[in-house]
Amino acid sequence: MASLIPETLKYTKDHEWALIEGDIITVGITDFAQSQLGDIVFVELPEVGTRLEKEGTFGVVESIKSVSDLYSPIAGEVVATNSELEDGPEKCNESPYESWMVKLKVENMSDLDELLSPSAYQEICDE
Amino acid sequence: MEKILQTSLTPEHVKLGAKMAPFAGFNMPLQYHSVKEEVIAVRESVGVFDVSHMGEFFVSGPEAVKFVDYALTNDFANAAVGKAVYSPLCRENGTVIDDLIAYKLERERVLICVNASNIEKDFTWLKSISGDFNCKLENCSDDYSLLALQGPDSVAIITTLGVKLGDDFDYYSAREVSSPHGNLIVARTGYTGEDGFEIFGGHETIKVIWSELLKEGVSPCGLASRDVLRLEVAYPLYGHEISDDVTPLDAGLKWTVKAEKESFVGKEALSNYKPKFRLVKLSLEKGIPREGYPILNSEEEEIGTITSGTMSVTLGRGIGIGLVEKDKFPKNKEFKIKVRKNAFAAQYHAKAFVTGGHK
Repeated sequence: MASLIPETLKYTKDHEWALIEGDIITVGITDFAQSQLGDIVFVELPEVGTRLEKEGTFGVVESIKSVSDLYSPIAGEVVATNSELEDGPEKCNESPYESWMVKLKVENMSDLDELLSPSAYQEICDE
Repeated sequence: MEKILQTSLTPEHVKLGAKMAPFAGFNMPLQYHSVKEEVIAVRESVGVFDVSHMGEFFVSGPEAVKFVDYALTNDFANAAVGKAVYSPLCRENGTVIDDLIAYKLERERVLICVNASNIEKDFTWLKSISGDFNCKLENCSDDYSLLALQGPDSVAIITTLGVKLGDDFDYYSAREVSSPHGNLIVARTGYTGEDGFEIFGGHETIKVIWSELLKEGVSPCGLASRDVLRLEVAYPLYGHEISDDVTPLDAGLKWTVKAEKESFVGKEALSNYKPKFRLVKLSLEKGIPREGYPILNSEEEEIGTITSGTMSVTLGRGIGIGLVEKDKFPKNKEFKIKVRKNAFAAQYHAKAFVTGGHK
């Protein structure tokens, strides 16, 4: 089953999407990730103000039978989290690209160059 | 690397789009569409599991029942013909080799169904202690497929297969029956807490039964929902709550150890054994207990470990069972579970999380 990969977003090999707006990026998990995980029943997000390392874990997403870490695509500070997901984790299954998890303030703009294009991410999903 | 085995239904699971994964050496379906929907199907209507990976041994001969009773800690000698018994299989020192169900099909013929991961270990063990008994022990695991039809609508569904069981076929009954699709062994047993049947048969027969059940609208269910269902009713799983390292008395299975039996393997050790652990059932308001998470007392001292955990579909809460060191069991029954960095207060459950509907 083909999964949805919007053209307007960037991606990571860990199946996260990132929307870039100036020096703020919004991060969530992709349609491919949610379909692989199955019914998502719990999302744990960091406190606002937390500083994240590039590729450091910033939270977890749990399905009924599994626990998966969430990895930060860049180094930066958490400026907002989507608390709606704590009460409605199933939204990650229903609309993965609206169910953002964190907004991060980018420390090194060069980190953004390493994010994957939609076509590069498609190749990872096809593997 | 060993070659991965298939059940007779593996191609059917793939065709249905199941998520497949290796389990005990077999390529097994974890889930079809949704774990949640599969759990609900079994609790509210009916689902079917392919559990053909499990092992089947037959014991036959004049001392078949005597031998099985000697090998098991539970009472098999006094079970009626046509009844099944759940029991641990223990070593002389009381540690658990496996847990199993033994079916008294005839006065001199017994079927034993064991966990897939323990087939070789169990058979070798049983063979080693069977020398003094006048009976024949056979491992027929490769000849049988096994389905578990589970849920409140199981009775209505099984009649559509042309299987006649009679009114006295109650919980833990077992019988060899003929069906239009071939001979079967049917037992009113399962691992979900719901009413239902386990159906043993030859591979071709079971393939037909599987497709008939799906035609009747029975939901195919995978190992993930099976694990959620068994955890909700707090049934132990070998390798988690029970293992080579503990006795049945450490894991809430005292009811399966009949110390008054005249003779059985492990009798002396188990009669004198002071349990090291106590099984607890805990749930969390927020967060999900997982295997390996530490169990703490109210002072946040570590007193045990979660052995199985999941999100309960039926309760909508995270549930877990675990083993707590017996001498550290808190009198106030206040527990916490450490979930990553945080210790969350847990609710203690004296009974199973969910009451199944089996009669």
